[in-house]
Amino acid sequence: MTDHTVTGGAAPAGAVAPGADAVGAKKRGPKNWRPLLLLIPAFVIVSMFFLAPLADVFIRSITDPVPGVQNYVWLFTTEANLNVVLRTFGTAILVTFVCLLLAYPYAYLMTIVSDRTRNLMQLFIMMPLWTSILVRTLAWMVLLQDTGPINGLLAAWFGIGPIPLIRTTFGVALGMTQVLLPFMVLPLYSSMSKIDKRLLPAASNLGANPVTAFFTVYLPLSKPGIFSGGVTVFILGLGFYIIPALLGSSKEIMISAMIQQQISVFLMWGQGTALGIFLLVCTILILVVVSRFNKGGSLFPGVDR
Amino acid sequence: MSTQKTIRTRRGLALVAGSAALALTLIGCSGGGEAEPAPERDLGTPVAGEIQEGALDGVTLTFAGSGGVFQDGQTEALWDPFAAASGATVNQDAFDAGKLKAMVDSGNVSWDIVNTTQFDTARGCGTLYEEYDYSQIDISKIPEGTITDKCMVPQILYGLVVVYNTDKFGDNPPTSAADFFDTEKFPGKRTVSQSTYVDPQTVEFALTAQGKDITSLETSDIEGAFDMYKDLGDDVIGWTTGAQAQQQLESGEAVMGLVWSGRGYGAAAAGAPVAPMWDEWMIMVDSNGIPKGVKDPQAAFAAVNYSIGAEQQAKMTELTSYGGVNVDAKPEVDDLLSEWITTERLDTGIAPNVDFWVENYDALSAAWAGWATGN
Repeated sequence: MTDHTVTGGAAPAGAVAPGADAVGAKKRGPKNWRPLLLLIPAFVIVSMFFLAPLADVFIRSITDPVPGVQNYVWLFTTEANLNVVLRTFGTAILVTFVCLLLAYPYAYLMTIVSDRTRNLMQLFIMMPLWTSILVRTLAWMVLLQDTGPINGLLAAWFGIGPIPLIRTTFGVALGMTQVLLPFMVLPLYSSMSKIDKRLLPAASNLGANPVTAFFTVYLPLSKPGIFSGGVTVFILGLGFYIIPALLGSSKEIMISAMIQQQISVFLMWGQGTALGIFLLVCTILILVVVSRFNKGGSLFPGVDR
Repeated sequence: MSTQKTIRTRRGLALVAGSAALALTLIGCSGGGEAEPAPERDLGTPVAGEIQEGALDGVTLTFAGSGGVFQDGQTEALWDPFAAASGATVNQDAFDAGKLKAMVDSGNVSWDIVNTTQFDTARGCGTLYEEYDYSQIDISKIPEGTITDKCMVPQILYGLVVVYNTDKFGDNPPTSAADFFDTEKFPGKRTVSQSTYVDPQTVEFALTAQGKDITSLETSDIEGAFDMYKDLGDDVIGWTTGAQAQQQLESGEAVMGLVWSGRGYGAAAAGAPVAPMWDEWMIMVDSNGIPKGVKDPQAAFAAVNYSIGAEQQAKMTELTSYGGVNVDAKPEVDDLLSEWITTERLDTGIAPNVDFWVENYDALSAAWAGWATGN
């Protein structure tokens, strides 16, 4: 870099810095709008690839095949739809809780072990993310089926079975939990690693037993991690398609399969888009409700208000 | 300072202008321009399986198929030889009816020939699919009754067939649709389609078991057919993909299944102890469809005409196990494959009531949506 470019002020850095300072100081002035120009590329891309398609989806839901709300009427008056919607939310909630129960102690362990062990633990949690979801699901299919190794061992050792594992909510929750666990562990670890370890001994010094110390000191401090992990897992869980299709029966099919069916098989795009919009609105509502409960901080660790 | 300010403002404007230009370019790309009309060629009187050497030099066609071993076999037996003979380039893609509708609605059709079902072409004839000009195609060797609408030329002739485990029922095999539902005589789990994709033959099979005449159906029959499956309770399991159906048969989890014939053959070829029941089986026909608004219909017709030649169809059968649609096709098959060839057994097959299902598709789709989602 030459002196000229640095002092010339024409480099992007020179253009950003004064504006960023102004925003940081929450000043309102005629100069402040200029840094916002930097958002234009992002805004253009988001508009084209997210907002415009979303608007198109919404418009279709109220115009296809004829203008009106008939698609939403269909959605709310067809019993099968409501059952699947309830099932979708139920499954996502179940998986979120299972993930939380498994991930919480795991993430806690990660904060107290040596660096080497932590790296190993991180590797274990990331490994599923690096394997194709289809391959993992097929592996579960083989393991869980009535003639699979698990039922085979149960029969050989205990003389019982076959126990229905595949085509049950259990099977679907198992497959989804494996996929979604990293999304719970990582935010939990990120928020737990910031907690001062001396707080727990301090609490016992003041007379709290370990259980009280955990519930009154540690748990509240790890709340941001619980909320961000929970929200991420829950929202990802709502959209699952292939795992319920392969590990569940028709009684575990989720809303994404219905959307696919309406769009790709029946070519009823109005009904399919209405289902999609409904799912989106429900998700946003849930986010709003959850963020109300999480008054202390943002939904995502590292993004502090 | 004032120079600096000017530069910043200019940068800002350039950024706005640049973004706008980018946006316009991308939007422009998605619109698609008006292509030049395809040239009229004289291809002579069509003969199935033949094309004039180099007649389609420089033409690019895209075939959208159903994937897997089936599409690989079609590529090898039909489209690669066609490309070599005609001079055209044939690309492969995966078919999805929703994608087709998106293409047709936006006026930007990038497929020329698609593999779909006879119900799809019948329902979408004139709106999603072009009507064929049968004077450009030699349909003299196509089995009678398999052309069920003006927008299709049959692609394969296969079936929804009961496949049973020979270790379990080898001595006393099932011989009727009713046997499939008889869990006392034939105990064990059976698998049927619960895919989101609708096969009316699955419904017709249950109605056959009830003794209904498939040529005279009522919409009130539909629920009754699904009740037959639901009444099987824990003895019925579902498959959502063809691969899953095959896997359930291979692992022995399902002792019986109502599956696509090619998947039954797949399980047998993998060494599973399974055999087909040909006493009452449901005939299925896949369509060669030409998307509405295709840029060069004449070239697409020529490709379809080539693909239904006896030699091409025989090779496709050898590679995929799916029955060819040319009555002169004589595939060389081994003992195992010969047990699974549908075209030899049309006399015991039950042809679908296409008109009824096209007319009552809404009733069927509503019932199927419930069935596929466990309601």
